[in-house]
Amino acid sequence: MTVVGESGLPHDAGRRDALHHRERVRKKITEQLKERIGEEDIIASGPEKKIRVPVKGTKRWQFILDRGQGKGVGQGDGQPGDILGPPGSRPAPGEAGTEPGEELYEVWLDMDDVEELLFSELELPRLKPKAEADAQSAHTVYNDIARTGPQLDKKATLRENLMRNAKRGRASLGGIAKSDLRYLSYRELPKPREKAVVFLAMDVSGSMTVDRKRMARLFFYWCVQFLRSRYNQTELVFVAHTTEAREVTEEEFFGRVESGGTKVSSAFEAIAQIEQNRYPADDWNIYILHVSDGDNFAADNQRTLELIRRLTETAALVGYLEVDPAGGSRVHKLSAFYEHEAADIDGFVFAGAVDDRELWPALKKFFAREDVQAAVR
Amino acid sequence: VSTYTLEDLRTVEDQCREIAAGELGFEIPEVIYHLVRPEEVYFAAANGLPARYSSARWGAQFDDAYGRYQRGQERVYELIFNTRPVHAYLMDGNSLVAQTLVVAHCLGHAFVFETNEWLGAVDREIMTRVVSAAERIADYMGVYGRDRVEDFLDACHAVAAHQPQAQLIRKARRPEPAQRERPFDVLFPDEVVADRERVAAERANLLKRFPREPEEDVLQFIERHARGLEDWQRDIISIVRSEQSYFLPQMRTKILNEGTAVLFHQEIGQRLFLPTDRYWEFEQLNAVVTQPHPGRVNPYNLGIHILREVMRIAADPDEDERERWGWAGNVDPLEQLRTILRSYDDEALLREFLTPKVCELARLYAFEHVAHDPRRIRISSREADAIRETLIPLHSTLGIPSVVIVDADFRGRGELLLEHRHTGVGLDEEYARGTLSQMALLWGKSVSVKTINARNLDEPVWFTGHPDGRSERSTAEP
Repeated sequence: MTVVGESGLPHDAGRRDALHHRERVRKKITEQLKERIGEEDIIASGPEKKIRVPVKGTKRWQFILDRGQGKGVGQGDGQPGDILGPPGSRPAPGEAGTEPGEELYEVWLDMDDVEELLFSELELPRLKPKAEADAQSAHTVYNDIARTGPQLDKKATLRENLMRNAKRGRASLGGIAKSDLRYLSYRELPKPREKAVVFLAMDVSGSMTVDRKRMARLFFYWCVQFLRSRYNQTELVFVAHTTEAREVTEEEFFGRVESGGTKVSSAFEAIAQIEQNRYPADDWNIYILHVSDGDNFAADNQRTLELIRRLTETAALVGYLEVDPAGGSRVHKLSAFYEHEAADIDGFVFAGAVDDRELWPALKKFFAREDVQAAVR
Repeated sequence: VSTYTLEDLRTVEDQCREIAAGELGFEIPEVIYHLVRPEEVYFAAANGLPARYSSARWGAQFDDAYGRYQRGQERVYELIFNTRPVHAYLMDGNSLVAQTLVVAHCLGHAFVFETNEWLGAVDREIMTRVVSAAERIADYMGVYGRDRVEDFLDACHAVAAHQPQAQLIRKARRPEPAQRERPFDVLFPDEVVADRERVAAERANLLKRFPREPEEDVLQFIERHARGLEDWQRDIISIVRSEQSYFLPQMRTKILNEGTAVLFHQEIGQRLFLPTDRYWEFEQLNAVVTQPHPGRVNPYNLGIHILREVMRIAADPDEDERERWGWAGNVDPLEQLRTILRSYDDEALLREFLTPKVCELARLYAFEHVAHDPRRIRISSREADAIRETLIPLHSTLGIPSVVIVDADFRGRGELLLEHRHTGVGLDEEYARGTLSQMALLWGKSVSVKTINARNLDEPVWFTGHPDGRSERSTAEP
């Protein structure tokens, strides 16, 4: 008898083929992910940032018998006439319910990949170079090594010497020659010229039910993920409002539960104030996103509209998303008011979402790449 | 990881082999065991053979099965390959008791591989071809692009199952049309003339028809007769086809093969005199392997029930059984079993030994899919006749609908026409159209299949797939 310790196969062969497979289903996944952007398992991907995604439409074609007429044989309990749940999900050939099993299977995906897939279609619209003066304030970084220069890099020089000695079979320092000398070299890095700030304003008033808050947070979760992954120098300002608004930390923003009435204008007033103090429009691309259930004090609507008009003059985008999972009457909602009064304001974009699947289209409405938007038109 | 050594495994194999050869009387060929990491076991399982060409296809299966293993939803214990010598993969990390069961189990497989005529018809030197094919396909991927080669492989696999299986009986050619001479021909000259004309027309028709006889070997026909294929594509077609021919005999002997392997580990396990705690572990594992699968048939379970039924009939038949089988009651049960293992496949085994008693012990039932919800099933019967009527056709065709090429110049446009030789059930439309589009990529022109309407069985229906991926259905001949 022979027992061999190993198979002699390349050790990573399985993983390699699995990677090729994942590459091939990538496209299909992107399509399907957009519909599932709100689902808990995608967000609650855990510390390992891995999720399991069922992939449809990757069928393995082959001739099979009509599934509706199929008969088969099974094993176990039950009397004639009993109806049983789905037969074994992957019957082997020749067994009951023959259906190629690849119609729906699951892939493990890295969250980073998922985000990459999703966010490749988004961008900050109308991003303009700001503050030309920045070119002068380029800062100098010593991050390179050269053979000439004003400032000797001792560590690099010693390393060169050691390596040269080692090549001759001597493992020690000594006899530093001119060719060993290394100098620090620098590059001028211009400061990022396209500075941007994004204001994220959320209605946390009493009318925001658990469901509405969850959708609002989901939406902002994806906004933040997108902005952090694509524009990591962008500044984010979180604003929570009821009848009053105040700037909060990110943690407060996502964890906060409050109650009270709603005055949307308070949020825009706070934003205008912060903008004026810290983010002059000459230096900053400004984006404002507001999410609410749209139950505003009617008397506040006019004031809100004025503020939106004023903010759109400086901001590249003012976006409003109305979340209403119940999908009730919209007559008294902010969206109805905006439709009537604010549809013509350039730079103001509004969208509605009655369920999680509409969050992605909304996100895309606000952040669609311009070529994508052009294609849609 | 393991708490035992390779030496321990050798001792186990020696013991098992001694019991099998001595008390049980089975001559078993050499088996080479590989103690491998779970990942390798699952990868080889996804490939079907080790060292097969790299493809996303295996990657998908690997991802799926290995993922389930990592989540604790399943565990493969062993993999065995019908090569000479026989190679078996044991999963490193399994307990010594589990390995003992697996080794005994593998000896059963090795015996069947050696003696069964269907499995003997397989090319056992396949590994050399597999390795060289893998190298060539890797080259093609380098030259023509990975995606292009993968797409082509997918198209080949879509129809790879449609080939004649190892034939133990040669099939007769269809007779050429010929004029028969009858005693009273001279009395009916008009009929003789008419008959002569009919035969001439049939002959002419036959000469025009290509292929002359319906062709079962779909990939081979395409490889030989498709226009516009490049050499590397023909090579890939032939690789996929010949590797598939290794798997088909295993598919048709699955129940017999697994039943034997279970019988081996059960019989050997009882004779090893394991200490109580180990025997308990052994029995638990045996129970897991042979547990029934709701909604389908566990070949391990059905296999062992059938083989034990054969042994019972040999040892303790009733009157009817004595009458039906001359050997019943007059033969050593294991000797009779060896006779059957030599020449039977699953279909023959089921036809002869799927008795009411087996149906009862294996708790089999026949079911129908619930209309409009094919994922749910309704138990239709627990009668042995109904079960046999359903199960046997599935095994005689391995669940693969019989589809043959009948015309390679369909509509006079060089298109391909297939015919589904149905047994009362039509083809699934969605899958037929998808498959035909894949075939059209290979053939270079549209490919159609004639089958029967799923709703109205008297009505023929044609599905057609085009090389650009479109497909359609028509109720009149296109």
